[in-house]
Amino acid sequence: MSALGGAAAGGEGINPTASVIGIVVLLIALGITFFIASTGGTIALIGIIIGGALIGFGVHFVPVGGAPAAMGQAPGIATGVAMLAAGAGLAGLFGGAWAASLGFAVALGAGAVGGGLMMAITCLMVNVIYVFGMGIPSASGKVDKDPITGDTFPQYKSQGTEGHGLPFISYVGGVIGGTLGGLGGTLIYLELLAVYAAALPTLYNVPLEEVLPVAVSLAGIFAVGMFLINAVLTAYNITGTIEGPHDPKFKRFPRAVIAAAVASAVCGMVAIMVVAL
Amino acid sequence: MVENLVLGIGVTALAGALATVAGAAEDTESDIGSQGDPNSQVQLAPQMGYIHRIYNKAISGEPPAYGLWCALGAGIAWALMAINLNAILALIVGAAIAVFVQGVYATTAYLGRTASLAKFEQPVYIDILKSVTTVTMAHAFVAIFTTISMCYLMVAALGHPFPLPLLGLVWGIALGAAGSATGNPFYGKERQYQEQKFGAGVPISASGNIVRYAEAGQRSSLDNGWFTSKLAGPASGLCFGLIVFFELWRTVLFESFAAGWGAVIAGVVIILIFMVIDRYVETWARNTFGPYAEAPAEAEEAAS
Amino acid sequence: MSVKVEVSEGGVPHDRIMAIGLVGSLVAIYLTYLNVLTGTQLFSFFGGIGAVFAIWWGTDSIKTLCSYGIGTGVPSAGMISLGSGVIAMLLATKMGVASPIGAVIIAAVLGVILGFLSDKVLNMNIPVMIRMLTELTIAGALILLGFSSMATGSFAFLDMIAGSTTFFGIEVATYSVSLIGGSVIAVIFMLGGIAIQHPFNACLGPNESQDRTQMCAAECGFLSMIAVAVMSFAFLSVGAAILGFIVAFIGWIYTYMEYIKLSKRDAFAWLDAKPIREPKGGA
Repeated sequence: MSALGGAAAGGEGINPTASVIGIVVLLIALGITFFIASTGGTIALIGIIIGGALIGFGVHFVPVGGAPAAMGQAPGIATGVAMLAAGAGLAGLFGGAWAASLGFAVALGAGAVGGGLMMAITCLMVNVIYVFGMGIPSASGKVDKDPITGDTFPQYKSQGTEGHGLPFISYVGGVIGGTLGGLGGTLIYLELLAVYAAALPTLYNVPLEEVLPVAVSLAGIFAVGMFLINAVLTAYNITGTIEGPHDPKFKRFPRAVIAAAVASAVCGMVAIMVVAL
Repeated sequence: MVENLVLGIGVTALAGALATVAGAAEDTESDIGSQGDPNSQVQLAPQMGYIHRIYNKAISGEPPAYGLWCALGAGIAWALMAINLNAILALIVGAAIAVFVQGVYATTAYLGRTASLAKFEQPVYIDILKSVTTVTMAHAFVAIFTTISMCYLMVAALGHPFPLPLLGLVWGIALGAAGSATGNPFYGKERQYQEQKFGAGVPISASGNIVRYAEAGQRSSLDNGWFTSKLAGPASGLCFGLIVFFELWRTVLFESFAAGWGAVIAGVVIILIFMVIDRYVETWARNTFGPYAEAPAEAEEAAS
Repeated sequence: MSVKVEVSEGGVPHDRIMAIGLVGSLVAIYLTYLNVLTGTQLFSFFGGIGAVFAIWWGTDSIKTLCSYGIGTGVPSAGMISLGSGVIAMLLATKMGVASPIGAVIIAAVLGVILGFLSDKVLNMNIPVMIRMLTELTIAGALILLGFSSMATGSFAFLDMIAGSTTFFGIEVATYSVSLIGGSVIAVIFMLGGIAIQHPFNACLGPNESQDRTQMCAAECGFLSMIAVAVMSFAFLSVGAAILGFIVAFIGWIYTYMEYIKLSKRDAFAWLDAKPIREPKGGA
């Protein structure tokens, strides 16, 4: 995605009234779900909210440089935030869904590792291209020293650019972001799968094996939809590019977590209503 | 779950090979058509006064676009298999229709963006449309067909619970993300800004000044195919191939250990190994290339 | 330097496009109910027409939203539109005859909440954010409902999860060969997601003109309809599927030709195999 745009209108800081209203909406969603789906549905919704918050938090770790990164002008990966995070999260969801029959915790672990693995390999290949294909070492534009390795950056930044490549902190950030995204997406999927696998057989009076494809697909498409909503909301929060956890923009994450939690709560409530109403 | 280990390993290897081809074809296609983040420079160039003959394929980023082509190919293949058509034929027809849709989107993107640049006197070159569109469609066919075949193997041979279209969506977006992340900087810096010094990023003052006159004659996007296949294409293929291979391999081989946790531990170990390799690459670059500021002449000479 | 997102002034006001799009889409989707009244599947293609209306409307909403500079690219607006639309649409399909209206209402509620979150909680402070995100969610839900009813012949949940397949010539009812069971809804999701953001993304620039962008929207809609028609062969009778394919193909050819004509009208020059024409002032 090219980072086209006029002036980005994002402001800094949390808007307290709006955040409180958001949390009230979240609690109303929880209440309605308790009313129509009792404890089982409410626990599922809490899982979905946590999953959404994890996605919202995790996307902030992923280093994205946008269009300038494609020219070696800025550090990070040269793709859009939402879709890079979606790629990692969905690769994690693939692994998590595959392990769903082995148990809840194992599936979550598989989802998290799947997302982290994709980001680890992608970030490595990005660095390989920068180093061996373009002859450019990694340098960050926002800090002078790498917080983890202590590498200094100012003399390794080429003239007229804001840094390039993926310094180690950005690499680690990418892996963490992929892990959290895969974890969150898989959590949403597993909660919804549990709700549908329990409700659909009784609703249509058929054994579980027959209606399982419907449950899997419904949970899958809801998970993809909610993942994209949360990733796009977080991308709006980041306003385009971020270098990783060391970037000052990273401090904006609380409001994205709140927004993702509220969005997931409402969407999760609607998803549960499909079988509970 | 995987019953037969040998079959599982064989299918994993085949899926990894298909994924490698898919990644290489995807990146080559997106560079021939100039899609994704480097395309913002193609869009910017006329604004800065540099008229060009590059294909301005502004569909969207590569992840959502490939998410669509692969999901569409997989969906049509699934629908044809549901009316009892042969599986391989269904995959071919699915990929063909997805490529048709991709080609149409490519033409509307080029016409739309270029017509809207009339203020900067960028003409619409119809011969670019006629010559380049079919080439991108051909590369896209390779990428889509290999990806949906890989997804079909995962459903039919490895027993993944997701239906084929959903797998096509998931792996299509992952393919676009991996290929775009790996291939975009190579195309953006080394090809579009060939005239800038090697071994440094493009200074912001040079934005828009892309290469428009090629080795002999005027640059057409077709030349990018040759260029991409030298490094970025295979690198993207390796990236996506490794992702698919390790994702399947750790599950097929280790899932039977420790009630499923074996695969998770294997994954963590693989992540750590890649982290170590990345750190090695990073320090190698710093030591071999040296800093820019202290000795600028040395840094530019120390190309790999 | 970054590319400025510029939009044309004037043209048809957005409110009118919204009215035409919303009403047209609802009417067309409701026309698929004729399938139930007449006992055939031949009226399914109206669902596709409804989706084209929704894409046509959603394009203008994305244009209005992105002209304020949201800081990220245009494609993410398409993704959030369909991501929230699919959630609203799946609940609405349980409402029987009231499904299309229900989809609009549920999508509106969802869209207002998402718009509120983006504008106020995330501090984006864009004046039209809440309204445009609401419109995009409704458009996304209608696109999905339209294409789903075109593929299966009805907009009821039960018809989307229950299908049938032939096993050695015998019809067998199964849940896995259905729109939702086979995840064809994921394909419709991506078709809509790319189609709704492509026209504005492809036509943006200083000389963007509304009639050309909207014609591109109609063209993308009919192209997606062709794809859905091919997939409907698994769910509908052969005659109904072929009818849908023919309607989609004719619609696509017409809008595509018109789009090329409009591009020719707007382009600076329409050259065939000519060299780079350096502008008068030089580089």
